[in-house]
Amino acid sequence: MRKNWIGYAFISPWLLGFLIFAAIPFLTSIYLSFTRYNIITPPHWIGLANYRTLLTGDPQFWKSLGVTFRYAGAAVPLGIAAGVGLALLLNLNIKGMAVYRTIFFLPSIVPTVATSVVFMWILNPQIGLVNRVLKMAGIDGPAWLQSSTWAPWSLVIMSLWGVGGSMVIYLAGLKDIPVHLYEAAMIDGAGPLQRLRHVTLPMLSPVIFFNAIMGIIGVFQYFTEAYIMTHGGPEDSTHFYALYLFERAWRYLDMGYASAMAWVLFLLVMGVTGFMFWSQKKWVHYDG
Amino acid sequence: MMDNGKKLLRGILAAALVVSIAAVSIKVTARPPEPPKPKRIPVRFWHMWTGEWTPVMNRVVDEFNKSQDKYEVIPLLVPSESGSSNNASSKFLLSVAGGDPPDCMAQWSQAMSAWAQDGILEPIDPLMSAADKQAYAKCYPVVRKNGWYKGHLYGLVTAFDVYACYYRADHFRQAGLDPDRFPSTLEDLIADGRKLDRYDDQHTLVRMGYMPETFTNYAPAYGGEFYDPAAGKILVDTPENLRALTSLVNARNVVGNDRVVRFEAGLNSGDAGNWPFIGGQVSVQLDGEWRVQQIAQFAPGLDYRIAPLPPPAGGKKLSSFSMVDYLTIPKGAKHPEGAWEFMKFWAGLADPERAAKYKVWFGWLPSSPEMANAPAFKQFVHQYPQFRTFMDLAASDNIEATPPVPLQVYWADRVQAADDLAMRGTLPPRQALDRLQQELDREAARRKELGYEE
Repeated sequence: MRKNWIGYAFISPWLLGFLIFAAIPFLTSIYLSFTRYNIITPPHWIGLANYRTLLTGDPQFWKSLGVTFRYAGAAVPLGIAAGVGLALLLNLNIKGMAVYRTIFFLPSIVPTVATSVVFMWILNPQIGLVNRVLKMAGIDGPAWLQSSTWAPWSLVIMSLWGVGGSMVIYLAGLKDIPVHLYEAAMIDGAGPLQRLRHVTLPMLSPVIFFNAIMGIIGVFQYFTEAYIMTHGGPEDSTHFYALYLFERAWRYLDMGYASAMAWVLFLLVMGVTGFMFWSQKKWVHYDG
Repeated sequence: MMDNGKKLLRGILAAALVVSIAAVSIKVTARPPEPPKPKRIPVRFWHMWTGEWTPVMNRVVDEFNKSQDKYEVIPLLVPSESGSSNNASSKFLLSVAGGDPPDCMAQWSQAMSAWAQDGILEPIDPLMSAADKQAYAKCYPVVRKNGWYKGHLYGLVTAFDVYACYYRADHFRQAGLDPDRFPSTLEDLIADGRKLDRYDDQHTLVRMGYMPETFTNYAPAYGGEFYDPAAGKILVDTPENLRALTSLVNARNVVGNDRVVRFEAGLNSGDAGNWPFIGGQVSVQLDGEWRVQQIAQFAPGLDYRIAPLPPPAGGKKLSSFSMVDYLTIPKGAKHPEGAWEFMKFWAGLADPERAAKYKVWFGWLPSSPEMANAPAFKQFVHQYPQFRTFMDLAASDNIEATPPVPLQVYWADRVQAADDLAMRGTLPPRQALDRLQQELDREAARRKELGYEE
């Protein structure tokens, strides 16, 4: 018993921090989602009204959900493909590999705000680097962040800039693949593509699965870039769910409604994650 | 022996943990040493004037403090939040929610009615003496029509921005236009704008002559309004508003939306000396009165003039939208009387002639005819004759403002969205306004269902 208390004493700073800054707000927000609450006056119970409005009377909710799903549908698979592709290239035995790995990893540690500001310039349709390069090749580049068609894709492209973080994990996964599997495949006459298809990717699938889950959770909370670069525009084309939630909470002081939105988001993320766990049986291989 | 050693180690670790937690909590809970208390009653004042404005703000506070035996204003700069037109709202709101707000806060969030309804602000009118009310009644209409909610004043207007046309005389001459004869109708101005446009050899727009944009800035010239005070309702889908939005869309279509969007994306931020008008990328720009001083500071030799926005055929003269800076007293303020003393000192209710000096320091407009006739403004207009246009606008009855309803922040966001949809050609102006009306009706119905009193 005494030993337990000493243990609790050691973890108490974290435990208190978790309770005060995570668990209690988390549970309180369940209650708040059933109230009208503006952070100044006490919450007023309104039952299911917030949830009813969300599902039946707020087109902006569905629009922001659509924007988020579309972004997730593009950014997560592309992020995985780019991460795996880069890891495969950086797993080759060539001179100076440590330098290349560092170069590709560096962007992922640049703060999001700094990256966003730099990309606002790079993607500027008139004076930006991308369109200048395209112009040299005779291509009239799109208006990027100023175009409702291209703005979401601009953010997808920007997300690939930070793929170095997941690349490192893929690289570690590649290093874990037993060499004898490749040797056996080569003896059986498998070429590079067949080895990739039948050895590398199946053996890497647990890591891909992990990154996919983390990526999906991340994109459902996508906020900073849209807040800084586009403010949800043009024409609401980058009005992400988390951005709309923030506006409801802090711009319109609709904290109860925002809490309901947060819980719908939580359930959605849980649902998608659950689906991923269910589907992994079919494509994730844990044994060599 | 081993057990004793382990016990000792455990004891030391546990003691170290307790001591470190205690040390941390003492450090966390210990308040920083308080500055020496002023002899007078402290009035904590938060404002958002950064950069070149901060010394000016501090100078006004110094003037107030010099004039006082009873109160001492302690200013604190609370920088506005990046990327948000809501400015320092969340810091301010959290201070009110936490029960420790400033006594006075200067705001340029157009959200007075919303915050009044939410119980964030204290009404100011109960603090006003008969003399204060008399002085307030002499203020310009734009001052008197802002800051009210349900018959109470929650935000005292200390400054307001109105918009007029800055134009480059040198560009006019280059285009064969006479800078002394500014177009007398908006239609003529738009046509002249195309004569002032410049393209490079690849047909990229490098100078915009004139492009009317931002629906709220132009609707007043067409007779458009955003609020019906008799019915207490927001106005959206009126023939005047539709005419305004349609004409903006038509003007943009002449140049092409894509070309305008690309050109504007390449312009500087517009702050101070980076203003594209100074840089020569724009020939005619609808902008606010504070630019006069900025031009004097950053481009003293600039060959420019200012004219009121010419009315469209059948439209209103001397019209403008206005953005307002308010002085507010938050709920829970400890010294509202001290806050009010400072507010009326600065806004000019106590002594308009003295306050005129402070307005001039900022390059702001006078709040009343008395202030406009004060020596400080006479001298200012003598020094900057271009400012006269804004002085005329300030006195005009044709100045529109954000509707004084709790839905005003949502209104501002959705108006901007509707404007964007129309300007980009995604929706015809009529449908954009219809959609805006539906959005506002839906939100109003929701708030009603939740029990808000509108």
